[in-house]
Amino acid sequence: MNFGQRLGIALSAFVAFAVGAIAVTSLLLGDNPAIFNNQPGSERAAELLALPGDVLLRLVVIVISLSVVIGIANLLYVHVGRVARGKVYSGALLASFGVAIFWHLTRQGDPSLLEAVQLPIESSLAALLFVSLVAGASRVMQKRADVWGLLFVAVVVLVLLASVPLAELAPLRAWRDWLMRVPVSAGARAFLLGIAMATVVTGQRVLLGQDRSYRG
Amino acid sequence: MDETTLQVYSGLIALATALLVFVARIWRRRAQRRIAGLERLPAWTGRAIETNRPLHLSFGSAGIGGDNTPLALAGAELFHQIIEGAEAGDAPPMMSMSEAMSLPLAQDTARRAWKRGDHLARLRWLPSGRRSLAFAAALTDTARNEEPAAHVLAGSFGPELALILDSAERRGQPSLAASDQLAGQAVAFALADEALIGEELFAAPAYVSDDRRAGSDAVVMDLWRAFVIIGVTIALLLQFSQLMPEYNWPVLAGIGAVLLILGLVGYRRS
Repeated sequence: MNFGQRLGIALSAFVAFAVGAIAVTSLLLGDNPAIFNNQPGSERAAELLALPGDVLLRLVVIVISLSVVIGIANLLYVHVGRVARGKVYSGALLASFGVAIFWHLTRQGDPSLLEAVQLPIESSLAALLFVSLVAGASRVMQKRADVWGLLFVAVVVLVLLASVPLAELAPLRAWRDWLMRVPVSAGARAFLLGIAMATVVTGQRVLLGQDRSYRG
Repeated sequence: MDETTLQVYSGLIALATALLVFVARIWRRRAQRRIAGLERLPAWTGRAIETNRPLHLSFGSAGIGGDNTPLALAGAELFHQIIEGAEAGDAPPMMSMSEAMSLPLAQDTARRAWKRGDHLARLRWLPSGRRSLAFAAALTDTARNEEPAAHVLAGSFGPELALILDSAERRGQPSLAASDQLAGQAVAFALADEALIGEELFAAPAYVSDDRRAGSDAVVMDLWRAFVIIGVTIALLLQFSQLMPEYNWPVLAGIGAVLLILGLVGYRRS
């Protein structure tokens, strides 16, 4: 790695660190006059502290909008290449793309294309999803022949049976409600706590300019 | 909790995390706990090289700029390591995403890791947003037409993940899945050959690379988890002691010790 490349890496890491530090400080401490003990002028100081974070967030919105243009370019690039190799589905995708653009330009506000094509397809896929889920659940014991697989299948069976509107199965509903209220709720919180902790650790890596994208 | 207190706590957590990462980097590297879901990745990479078939890597709806930005970055780091491992093969890996902002991230990851340059046409943006069935349906076509050697779906997925995993299963293509959505996580556990749960995706780069930075991040995640478990156990015992005053402190301490030992045994076995 030559000197220029190393300088570029150091510069990008420094910019990332500086922007990250400014954004975090601004978003964490900004817009709260209480941290200045509500002294005269603290409103203005709080607004000024919040300003850099606000500006950076607006820049992010603009970049996100531009990324959709990049995405469309990628979509066309990939599927034109596939059409050239004789892929029929890619041709259908490009034709649909053209029709949707034409429809929007000529019949603005008319949702009939969405209602006639998109919604039925999505509904069909949702039905297919149910079949896939049931088929997948039936294969769980093949993949995970352990206590956790057994527990998973038992819970799925219990919840499905409790959802059947039969008087004989009414006692199962109390079990299902307890399952959803206590173990499922606890598991969901544990899962989200894990994600949150990992997000903080990953976030600090990015803010300190340690992420791979800044390291060349 | 008022806003100022919340700000102070947030700042303290961020500072404590940075300090823990710094300390973890100074310490000698210790053995990491096992994550079973990641142990088959090298075999899948080898299979991709031998059979000259691509690996399919997907971010789902994770992307830069949203609430799952760190997830997208963690996924990109994992994908970087996988692609580098597969570089001896001829088939460049495919990367798919439904969030436009993850397209530049995927392009950058592929460019750095796959140095031969023929990767641009292998990036697939399928514009559909979160929990999209259309995105999943398009990926089932990928499983059929491109015949990937394996699928690594590490990002944000909902129940639509079932369509992709079912399609992969029917074609004998192995899969690893992880999602930050509860529904997606449940589907991944049931249908994928291997699943990463919760923060395991964020720790994954430490298991597929020799990077000390990633290793120390994984250690800090484990430390935070231990702190949370100890905190919850103490809160539980305090609550328990108020509910049942006839139990004395030695009994509660004994229950606490049993809970911690069970936790440690579970940790060692995981």
